[in-house]
Amino acid sequence: MPALHSTFLSEQGADTRVIGNLAVLPIHSKYRGPSYPPQQDYDIIEETLDLFRANSFFKNFEIKGAADRLLIYGILFTSDCLSKLNKSITYKEAVRTLNNLALDSFALPGDIGFPLNSLYQSPANKNEAELLRSYLQQFRQELADRLLKRVYSDSEVVPSKHWLAFTRRRFMNKSL
Amino acid sequence: MASMGTPAVVMDNGTGLTKLGFAGNDSPSFVFPTAISTLSASSSKSSGNNAKSTGSFLSSKRGLEDLDFFIGNEALAAANGPNYNLSYPIRHGQIENWDHMERFWESSIFKYLRCEPEDHYFLLTEPPLNPPENRESVAEIMFESFNCAGLYIAVQAVLALAASWTSSKVSDRSLTGTVIDSGDGVTHVIPVAEGYVIGGAIKNIPLAGRDITLFIQSFLRDRGELDTSLQTAEKIKQQFCYVCPDIVKEFNKFDQYPQEKFAQYMVEYADKNRSKTVVDVGYERFLAPEIFFNPEICSSDFLTPLPTVVDQVIQASPIDVRKKLYKNIVLSGGSTMFKDFDRRLQRDLKTLVKERIELSERLSGGVKSSGVDVQVISHSRQRNAVWFGGSLLAQTSEFKSYSYTKQQYDEEGPNLVRNFSLFK
Repeated sequence: MPALHSTFLSEQGADTRVIGNLAVLPIHSKYRGPSYPPQQDYDIIEETLDLFRANSFFKNFEIKGAADRLLIYGILFTSDCLSKLNKSITYKEAVRTLNNLALDSFALPGDIGFPLNSLYQSPANKNEAELLRSYLQQFRQELADRLLKRVYSDSEVVPSKHWLAFTRRRFMNKSL
Repeated sequence: MASMGTPAVVMDNGTGLTKLGFAGNDSPSFVFPTAISTLSASSSKSSGNNAKSTGSFLSSKRGLEDLDFFIGNEALAAANGPNYNLSYPIRHGQIENWDHMERFWESSIFKYLRCEPEDHYFLLTEPPLNPPENRESVAEIMFESFNCAGLYIAVQAVLALAASWTSSKVSDRSLTGTVIDSGDGVTHVIPVAEGYVIGGAIKNIPLAGRDITLFIQSFLRDRGELDTSLQTAEKIKQQFCYVCPDIVKEFNKFDQYPQEKFAQYMVEYADKNRSKTVVDVGYERFLAPEIFFNPEICSSDFLTPLPTVVDQVIQASPIDVRKKLYKNIVLSGGSTMFKDFDRRLQRDLKTLVKERIELSERLSGGVKSSGVDVQVISHSRQRNAVWFGGSLLAQTSEFKSYSYTKQQYDEEGPNLVRNFSLFK
């Protein structure tokens, strides 16, 4: 059983949007953005958080489709988030920190500074780039939000050290 | 003959641990590291010239440096002080330093077992593919130095198979099967047919107990636990680790039932006054043994999972024994003791075998296979399986007829031990 793939790979029907070769999957979110509301409860963000701990041990990953690319992005962003936390940050401070991180300017596939340019295609035109940027922003905000709910599930004051231990692990030896 | 009524001595010298005891017993009388510490060359020389250090001066004057050594745990303790050098006479299962090994046996027999070798038969073990010259050297030492009454040298894998006869899953007592032997240093997968090791098909996995311990230690360090020593990691490995069916589901179980899954380990110190340290135990409980099934999570150069290796080994064996090899997969050694190790291995192997059968059925155009039975056998003697198998065989009445006696050795010489007849 090598590293785990996204279960959303198979659901690439006519209504799935793909920009470059990155899937723009529907997510549940209270943040504003271009994502469609998904039909089922389980979305790519839940999946990212479920697979994050298992997959962060793996250095090799075979990309099987557009949804896997979104999963990789999510996992790398999760570990980026965890690296911003430490033992003494409370939930409220963490929310602020990660919200800033999510809204911070970030590189799109194809931009200089994006770590996975060999695996991701850049968006075809300016409109697509704009759409991708706003989607990823929504994705990042929602992911950070749900991540913190898990990390602070036991206590509002101290993050779970079992989650923080994953800061040092690097999925595919990459980081955002 | 004096050796008629006495039980045979069973000695299993492994790379990491030596197991000593008498045939017929349930468990070895002594288990200690295969380590010897001898007087270091520099200190014996300097004490020879310098008469101030009286203790070793006396021994060097009488030429008794040879007797000044410790084995096992005492050797580890002695090596902490000055004057003594620690060495491990067995490397990768084979004896490297014969002089040290002879002294190690001497101490094992006279100081630990406290028996007269003239009165006992001996059963020693050897790794698979041990060169016959090594057997001869062993026989020379056992017969000429110790005058032992009789000797039998058995292959470890075969003894591990014999030990599995105690399991209720084993219906026929055959010496055909695949042995997975995982100790501290290396994991071996050894196919055995009718008591003979199929040498060409053996495979080694460079992951075993020590790697699991180091992996646990890295977890403790990442989390910043208060005690991250190797001993603590070792204890956590022995007390808390288990094999899970699916890592992602197991992570979710930890989220759902944190009370049951997360554990705490109290570190006990030899120094009673020191307050106890509490170490939290988390995901390493199931991730550490997972390195057998997903080596990628801990090693970057060895990536083949254990079930795949077992499958390759059996596929490399002669076709007429493959079914029996799949049916009788026997575990041996401390690193196979994790809970549900056998179930996971059996499930993963079954999946591999099923895929291949389906493929061949499709390719052959609808010819049905009679199926392959995959069975992994786990039993209560697994930890010291090799020693226990030796104890079982050496207590049988036939044992002495299979062994060579001192008299036979004197008549024919060391090349006598190149061949031993097999237990049937």
